[in-house]
Amino acid sequence: MKNYKVTVNGKRYEVEIEEIGGSASTPTVTRPAPASSAPPPRPAAAAPAPKAKPKAASPDNPAADGSGTPIPSPMPGNILSVNVRAGDSVTKGEVLLILEAMKMENEIMAAGDGTVTSVNVTKGATVSAGDILLVVQFN
Amino acid sequence: MTTNKLQDLLDRKQKIELGGGEARIQKQHDKGKLTARERLQLLFDQDTFVEIDAFIKHRCTYFGMEKKEAPAEGVVTGYGQVEGRLVYAYAQDFTVIGGSLGEMHAQKIWKVLDNALKVGAPVVGINDSGGARIQEGVNSLYGYGGIFYRNTMASGVIPQISVIMGPCAGGAVYSPALNDFIMMVDKTSKMFITGPKVIETVTGEKVSGEALGGAMAHNQISGVATFIADNDQAAIAETRRLLSFLPSNNTETAPGCETGDDPNRVIPELNTFIPDNPNKPYNMHELISMIVDNGDFMEYQPYYAANMITCFARMGGRSVGILANQPKVLAGCLDINASDKAARFVRTCDAFNVPLLTLVDVPGFLPGTAQEYGGIIRHGAKLLYAYSEATVPLVTVITRKAYGGAYIAMCSKHLGGDMVLAWPTAEIAVMGPAGAANVVFKKEIDAADDPAVAKKKMIDEYNAEFATPYKAAELGYVDDVIEPAITRQRVIDAFNMLASKREMLPPKKHGNIPV
Repeated sequence: MKNYKVTVNGKRYEVEIEEIGGSASTPTVTRPAPASSAPPPRPAAAAPAPKAKPKAASPDNPAADGSGTPIPSPMPGNILSVNVRAGDSVTKGEVLLILEAMKMENEIMAAGDGTVTSVNVTKGATVSAGDILLVVQFN
Repeated sequence: MTTNKLQDLLDRKQKIELGGGEARIQKQHDKGKLTARERLQLLFDQDTFVEIDAFIKHRCTYFGMEKKEAPAEGVVTGYGQVEGRLVYAYAQDFTVIGGSLGEMHAQKIWKVLDNALKVGAPVVGINDSGGARIQEGVNSLYGYGGIFYRNTMASGVIPQISVIMGPCAGGAVYSPALNDFIMMVDKTSKMFITGPKVIETVTGEKVSGEALGGAMAHNQISGVATFIADNDQAAIAETRRLLSFLPSNNTETAPGCETGDDPNRVIPELNTFIPDNPNKPYNMHELISMIVDNGDFMEYQPYYAANMITCFARMGGRSVGILANQPKVLAGCLDINASDKAARFVRTCDAFNVPLLTLVDVPGFLPGTAQEYGGIIRHGAKLLYAYSEATVPLVTVITRKAYGGAYIAMCSKHLGGDMVLAWPTAEIAVMGPAGAANVVFKKEIDAADDPAVAKKKMIDEYNAEFATPYKAAELGYVDDVIEPAITRQRVIDAFNMLASKREMLPPKKHGNIPV
């Protein structure tokens, strides 16, 4: 309970205001659904199911904990060769693997110095764009 | 009496030239930024800048604005010379009410655009502004709208370059966006429609101003900006350099210059430049630097869609625009971003009579749902459209792959290429050997005792017969197959031959490019 003094048109009033618990009910306005001139909803174009390709990191190395920067495949293609193993240290510009895609042997290079913590693909594997090829912990 | 009046004039000018005062100028310098006037002094040749409208004042009387002085209305405008050629410019002055844009501030910019259009001179707009001057209400929106309208009217008539040297947010971003080029200064410039605070309130996303709208974000991710520079000085030097590749307006050609590089220079290294294995990438930048004058080129959007290289250079002293597939990035494929970037560059060069050289090594369009759903059909169409409507001299050199629709798109004879040259290493075909063999020789391969051997045989046959430039040359789609070593000589010769090219489009209100 709170007491207030309020002056209205020069006349002073003393008012008590009590706070009541619970939520105040807000009036809701119901509108009639408009006759829709919009086209009826169509089923969305079938989005491709995300392709989960779990491929275990080679467990033979202690550095293979998979932490670091994942390097995704820029294009759909085939892995022509894998030049590194988990645990290998790499230098900037080193070719990590070769992705054959669009009639081209694309060199996937290290963006900086670091250590490979996981290699997710093997030679001959088919990958989609965005699949994680390997993970590198950059220094 | 006269002396007093003269002294009064000098005092007034001196006060205006101080902008927001020494303390604010110091603050601007502390941020590593130059002031509006310092920037203009650097942009123009020494002692050629002429200021106009220095005495303009705002007319706002709300929120105490009537007592607020804004020297030069927060924007310095005028004209001067860049390498001896007339250029108009305006530079927003952040030291004066944060460079905020009100009605009269905008009208100063309108006058610059109107005058530049009248005399056919490029406009450089230096942006450093907190945005609309809220106190002026809807009048500041009126100001912006008038700028956008004039930018659009001047588009394709005079080159318009925006240099972003501070904040440029909200509606303000659309003047640069309507220009031909946007140069951003790393770390000190920002562009966004809605800032980090609004984004966090509305969507809950937390993002820094730099990550959202910094120079690198727009150079690499959004493709909004065309160039990035380390600081104000470098940005202005690059702007001057950019102007050297452009004419003053659409009725002129860019000034030629004596570069001292022999147009007939033979480059023997090019004969062995393409790797023996046709599937090995190489660096297209190296090829460009070998054939252009003095190895010097200015790259347009170097960080965006790097699978497509676009740049200005000189060949035989003449300014040319170069487009080239980069086999090192995404195999040099055409994708949505590369198509947009290339189409815009083609239209920019065509508008300003800069001839185009296209270097082709393209395996095709990038496959994938992301590309198809993203609308590669309509984005790729922009590139076809841009080349087809271009009336400048079009010279094409096919160095290696030129397959399918991507071959057509890369300035083929069919879209109006005036001179299409090919190296002996060129593979011009409807599709790659493996795919083609599977379709054309399916029956033979299936019927063979050893399909694998049969397939290889068919691929070799296809390669020898079709993955060459000669099938296209037999039909006249390639004008000549040349020794790579004389590429520079032949390209410059073609541009000389095409210098008097006259081509008219059919009369129309405007075309309907699939934007």
